[in-house]
Amino acid sequence: MTAPLLEIDRLSIAFATRRGDIPAVADFSLSVAAGEAVGLVGESGCGKSTVALGIMRDLGRAGRISGGTIRFRGRDLATLSGSELRRIRGNDIAMVYQEPMASLNPALRIGRQLMEVPRLHRGASRAEARELAREMVADVGLPDPDRILDAYPHQLSGGQQQRIVIAMALMSRPALLILDEPTTALDVTVEAAIVDLVKGLGRKYGTALLFISHNLGLVLEVCDRICVMYSGEAVEQGPVRHVFDRMRHPYTQALFRSIPLPGADKTTRPLETIPGSFLMPQDRPRGCNFGPRCTHFEPGLCDTAEIAMRPVPGASDHEARCLRFEKIDWQSRPPVPKAAAPGEVGAPVLTVSGLRKYYEVSSGGLFGHRRRKLVRANETLSFEARQSETLAIVGESGCGKSTLAKVLLGLETATAGQVLLDDREVQETPIQKRGPRAVADLQMVFQNPFDTLNPSKRVGGQILRALEVFGVGATRRARRERMFELLDLVRLPRDFADRMPHQLSGGQKQRVGIARAFAGGARIVVADEPVSALDVSVQAAVADLLMDIQRTRRTTLIFISHDLSIVRYLADRVMVMYLGHAVEIGSTAQVFAPPYHPYTEALLSAVPVPDTRVEKTRIVLEGDVPSAIDPPPGCPFQTRCHWKDRVPNGRCARELPPMVELGSGHRILCHLSAEALGEMEPVFRVAAE
Amino acid sequence: MERLSWTGALGPWLVPALEAALVALALAALAHPLALLAGYRLGPGPEAARSGPGRAARLTGGLLRLSLWALAAALAAFLIGGLLVPPEAKGILGRIATRLWPVWLSLGASFALVALFRRRLGLLGHLLGNPAGAVGLALVMFWVFAALFADQIAPFDPITDVIAGMKNKPPGTPLPAPEGTYGYYLLGGDALARDVFSRAVAGARVVLAIAPAATLFAFMVGITLGLPAGYLGGRLDLLLSFLANLVLAFPVILLFFLLVTPEIVAMGVPTYMAGALFLFPLIFLTILWNSRFRTRPPLRAALIGATLVLGGWLYAGLAWNADPFGVVSMPAGVLIVFVSVVFVNAPSVFRIVRGLTLDIRTRDYVAAAQTRGEGPWYIMLWEILPNARGPLLVDFCLRIGYTTILLGTLGFFGLGLAPESPDWGTSINAGRGLLQFVPFPPLVPAVAIMSLVLGMNLLADGLREESLRE
Ligand SMILES: Nc1ncnc2c1ncn2[C@@H]1O[C@H](COP(=O)(O)OP(=O)(O)OP(=O)(O)O)[C@@H](O)[C@H]1O
Ligand code: SF4
Ligand code: SF4
Ligand SMILES: [Mg+2]
Repeated sequence: MTAPLLEIDRLSIAFATRRGDIPAVADFSLSVAAGEAVGLVGESGCGKSTVALGIMRDLGRAGRISGGTIRFRGRDLATLSGSELRRIRGNDIAMVYQEPMASLNPALRIGRQLMEVPRLHRGASRAEARELAREMVADVGLPDPDRILDAYPHQLSGGQQQRIVIAMALMSRPALLILDEPTTALDVTVEAAIVDLVKGLGRKYGTALLFISHNLGLVLEVCDRICVMYSGEAVEQGPVRHVFDRMRHPYTQALFRSIPLPGADKTTRPLETIPGSFLMPQDRPRGCNFGPRCTHFEPGLCDTAEIAMRPVPGASDHEARCLRFEKIDWQSRPPVPKAAAPGEVGAPVLTVSGLRKYYEVSSGGLFGHRRRKLVRANETLSFEARQSETLAIVGESGCGKSTLAKVLLGLETATAGQVLLDDREVQETPIQKRGPRAVADLQMVFQNPFDTLNPSKRVGGQILRALEVFGVGATRRARRERMFELLDLVRLPRDFADRMPHQLSGGQKQRVGIARAFAGGARIVVADEPVSALDVSVQAAVADLLMDIQRTRRTTLIFISHDLSIVRYLADRVMVMYLGHAVEIGSTAQVFAPPYHPYTEALLSAVPVPDTRVEKTRIVLEGDVPSAIDPPPGCPFQTRCHWKDRVPNGRCARELPPMVELGSGHRILCHLSAEALGEMEPVFRVAAE
Repeated sequence: MERLSWTGALGPWLVPALEAALVALALAALAHPLALLAGYRLGPGPEAARSGPGRAARLTGGLLRLSLWALAAALAAFLIGGLLVPPEAKGILGRIATRLWPVWLSLGASFALVALFRRRLGLLGHLLGNPAGAVGLALVMFWVFAALFADQIAPFDPITDVIAGMKNKPPGTPLPAPEGTYGYYLLGGDALARDVFSRAVAGARVVLAIAPAATLFAFMVGITLGLPAGYLGGRLDLLLSFLANLVLAFPVILLFFLLVTPEIVAMGVPTYMAGALFLFPLIFLTILWNSRFRTRPPLRAALIGATLVLGGWLYAGLAWNADPFGVVSMPAGVLIVFVSVVFVNAPSVFRIVRGLTLDIRTRDYVAAAQTRGEGPWYIMLWEILPNARGPLLVDFCLRIGYTTILLGTLGFFGLGLAPESPDWGTSINAGRGLLQFVPFPPLVPAVAIMSLVLGMNLLADGLREESLRE
């Protein structure tokens, strides 16, 4: 084997804080060969980003490398001088961060920013630099490079910005590109395109990739090798397929079992959650860091000494940090705990028909005449949600999911159409006029766990306030008792009532948010991306909690999400939205099997599936979602549709298609004929084992 | 009796030590930048950048720090030595230090308490670990305690004790006939033969009574208007922002002159303004209780009732001088000062609150409050305001400092407070004529203003740094 490009050897990184040093990374070793793509996965806080910043030597004032070496092309980065280091950082190693705007200067045109790289590092002339920049912009798949070069960053969409950041990183033809969650802030279809781009460019320029992600599916698609981190150390590493099929560390397995793979089912094969919670680096136990949460833990063995990486037989360079991997039966699954039978789906409790919501925005400057424009956030939505049912609403950002939630809850009033709550019309009634009962009946769980609780009020106080407002309990004592019951319901210890939100983890905060939503005995809960900001293992626990509460209380759950894996796992029916339209609606089985609406098909194919047995048809959508201010004429999806040619006479570009009933409640918004639909093939195929 | 020297019996030892420390400090302060520059120039290339400052620079840096410590030690020795030596050996500094003993005692006690309960005190505890914050806190607390114990500290009455023969006397002058009173004017006498030291201490009381209260009022006004402007937006926001900018654009001094013009006072303009501005704390508290306890009507009624009765009483007394019991009132001059300070500060607070509100109202917990049907005032006061407290606290400290200066300016122009008032601004104004010949009457209050404002600024810096580190 040739000498690796990057070699990290027993790296330790510590952050100095008020309460002493925090060892964020300990004894971490990894090597990346030239041209190779290595994935780094693990839960948030496990030290992935810290490793990346350590390589870039960009740890800030508090951070410091407390042990080990990082060699790049055989040279120890610690011995390099400031200017040599800068040269390597600019030329040989480049980094792409999660938030594209963090790497772009909002005040400079894209062209200027791209041209700076060759001009600084290679002394290229203006014309040369511009030519290089043009090529690069074309290479990252952006149409009309000249227009893009003259644009300011804020004039581009999030996906385009991230492409520019990647272009900028590749301008200097680095030997190593570090990507820290490069697509987390993007939509799935855009993510799929970016991932394709990174893979292709990596191959084209022979760039090695260090791809940091919490998404196992993406890592499977992009990487050759994978390194799983837990609590500051690498616990398992090896070739991607080998690790995915024959993982030899209990943490890796637990991680895989907590994500909804095809085949998981909320009643027969529920997700497994990892018991316990992630320990802060300073509270690490003796011996195996994963010990306290490991189901194979053996006292006297696992908790005595530090554990080293050991090679796993069967493949070269597959190794795991577990003492017992030979003895563990990797196929066995714990018995499925008997879940309560799913509640019988009852009568419709929420009926929406022909709902429209337009916003008026005015544009134009101080002196130019003001023009009023319509944002068509929701276009003629019709659906119903029944008691004890989970209705998922799926779509990318900006498709109108959150607007729909706002209208349902009464934070906005509808422009047209009807919303029936039981049999009362509420589309015109703002929340202030709904009366406590109706308000308590229809509640919401929010997306961002860091934002969902008021940071300056105690957890108990926030739930108590909800109880007060909903008129639950006659006395303070009664309400306190009820508050404790709610904490029990979401499986939090009762003494959390006296904690401040910043003392809770993301998943715990989300549970408090759920408790608060159920304070008034809500019958309908709108959950807006309730788990998307959580770690996979926590995601499973929160999703199962929601399902459990639903079973016992017969709640109607309206689950808004862009994550199709979790939707397939827990929804009964699915509505797919695009640009304010409902483009497909049906039971989960109907929506996830052909015939699809063309957009659903693309969406499905964009979902990264972390399972080596699943083969996927790749459909990469061109371009971005059009703006809701001037939507395309005809079919909303026509600007990106792959099936458009199959509709004669270009009707897609002229007429809005009708909602076509395909049988037993499965409806799609498309002009495609029955036989064209019949030709559709499933996006996923599970290879025979 | 003889005039006191500054340092008393300690002088012969401590003064040379102080001088030595000062000389060392001056030398080091000169040499250090040079050494730094030289270090960078001598070693070109990356080596120098990596090895950091050269050996020479490290040496001068150490010297700088050492001389600073020495200076601090010498000053502390003056204070402590002055406290400890027998009375006849004390100089002016020693005597002042002795007069201030209640301040030292309370300062020591409060710092010891804070240090003891550091862990539990949150931000206040962290402040002690922050040099700027700790110094700021000490300066501010010094003046607070000085104001509290002014009666014990000041040897003379700041207004009525006019002692013949003490006019414009230098510091440390003994009284001609010291019967039953303190024997010296420690910091000299002013043009009306009053004790400068006593007036400075008493001035702290006036300043610290007006500045924080006026700033608090300005905050109530700014918050009550800024929250709805930011949260509700629209026309209301346009209107309020326009008015705020209008006031901010108006020259402050001109405004003050207008307010004290006899014709305008006779028209009752200051009183009407007070009538409007002082209403805001009442409104603020009423909506605060109303929104929080709307689900518990009895408690709500009790709180609002108490607020209205108590507040109404204070309001009648302060703003309209119409207290039925004749207890609460505010001298006309103070009222004018108060109104002006509130009036010029409120728009800035308004803008800060509005900006913070615009940011915080997009948070999910605000949406959560909306979805459970909370009214806008509850959301503004109980969901948004508590989370804006960090920046507001910092601004509050800075603004008290600013108000102190403003009070000084007002006093200096002879506006508002009575001419015999011991407040610092008025004293500076009274003494400025003879500044060249009798420097102490204006100098002492000037240093007092400076140290209090410095303390407030340092405190604000410390608060800002520590809250960022949370
Ligand atoms: N500046 C800092 N000061 C103190 N602790 C820090 C600092 N930065 C990171 N840490 C700690 O280091 C550990 C690793 O953090 P890191 O950001 O590398 O995690 P991550 O795996 O990238 O997580 P995520 O998936 O959320 O991005 C965490 O415990 C974190 O709290
Ligand atoms: S070493 Fe022990 S505790 Fe650690 S992962 Fe292996 S079996 Fe579990
Ligand atoms: S109507 Fe036409 S453009 Fe729209 S989804 Fe169907 S085939 Fe595609
Ligand atoms: Mg990270």
